Amino acid sequence: MRRRASLILLALAVFFAALSPLIRWYAFPRLAKIPPSQYQDMVLEAKNATLLDYATMKSKKVPKVSIVQTLKGNVAAAKKVKDRTGRDVVVWDTLSHVADHKGKMVSQIPERYVFDAHSQEPVHAGGEHVDGDPVRRQGIEYKWPFLTEKRDYEYFDFQTRTSAPIHYKGTRTVHGLETYYFEQTIPWTKVKVPKKLPLGATPETVEQLGLERWYTTKRMFWVEPTTGAPVDGQEIHKEEMRWTDKPGKKPLTAFAGHVKMRPDYQEATVEMVASQRQLVLTMTTYLPWGFLVLGGLLLAGSLALEARAAAAPRKGRGELRDQLHQSRSLQASSGGSPSPDHGRAKS
Amino acid sequence: MRALIAAGIGLAAALALVFAITAIGAPPGETSKKPLHTTVPDRP
Repeated sequence: MRRRASLILLALAVFFAALSPLIRWYAFPRLAKIPPSQYQDMVLEAKNATLLDYATMKSKKVPKVSIVQTLKGNVAAAKKVKDRTGRDVVVWDTLSHVADHKGKMVSQIPERYVFDAHSQEPVHAGGEHVDGDPVRRQGIEYKWPFLTEKRDYEYFDFQTRTSAPIHYKGTRTVHGLETYYFEQTIPWTKVKVPKKLPLGATPETVEQLGLERWYTTKRMFWVEPTTGAPVDGQEIHKEEMRWTDKPGKKPLTAFAGHVKMRPDYQEATVEMVASQRQLVLTMTTYLPWGFLVLGGLLLAGSLALEARAAAAPRKGRGELRDQLHQSRSLQASSGGSPSPDHGRAKS
Repeated sequence: MRALIAAGIGLAAALALVFAITAIGAPPGETSKKPLHTTVPDRP
């Protein structure tokens, strides 16, 4: 009976000990992914910003500029790419909508971002674009990979349509979460004019005025490393309309401001990331270590039962030997020299 | 010999469980009906 229990414990010990690395190194990389149906929005604000008034073509100070970013997973498009490439992908249709303090549209830039659901690496399956212009992304955008490392990453800048390193600058604590801080500076670069501008302005009308758009930004992200999700993002962002044929003429500031996450959105993001973090930690830490310890305990129990089962027959054999020895002693005493009492009884 | 068989059963069960779970995966869901924002939302 003890032998059978010992064998069952041994099977369970191997089961849990094997699950430990299998969950961490086999299941986690395959199960941890961005769902193709994800929908997420974010509002960023720049207070006391400078904005170009397209009616007067003059820059002016405004109390607030809002940037609303929406990411919407396109499940049908992701399935088509998966059927073609065999990879788990996410297709995000995004919109960056910029509005002034009165809520009037300043610009809109749509994007399509196709990336690997597990690694967040771009997948070039066609359809990628920024503001209708086909692009071939390198590096990440919006989200870092799960288990983000303390190193530089290539980050895609949708304004310049190019990728550049975003540098790891150390750890910081944001609302109680440990984060990795990344920073990227895009130097002044000539960029395309958004196709959707206020008052019906178009890139062509801007060009006819003899203007071209230049942009620079210092981009900062605080990334929760387990999930790879940014819990804070800021940009010190400047845009100018420069005169193409009049290099000496003062450029018009199209936008200048320090863009930060709106506090209510940041709190919601921190809350969501904190709960997702627990899920990822369950797969990478809690279950693997828990199962390893459980496997060790079950193995110890199995060995203990086995040792007791092996000791029991030895003990049985020892008792038998003692009984045999006693019975031989009795036989010898009854057939040999009588005891003094026995002799007295006879007489 | 019986110990080896028991260990083999434990290992096979672990492999089968993990392969099954990863093969099933998660359902893809559906594209959200919510729009891409063209106004500033009041709250998250």
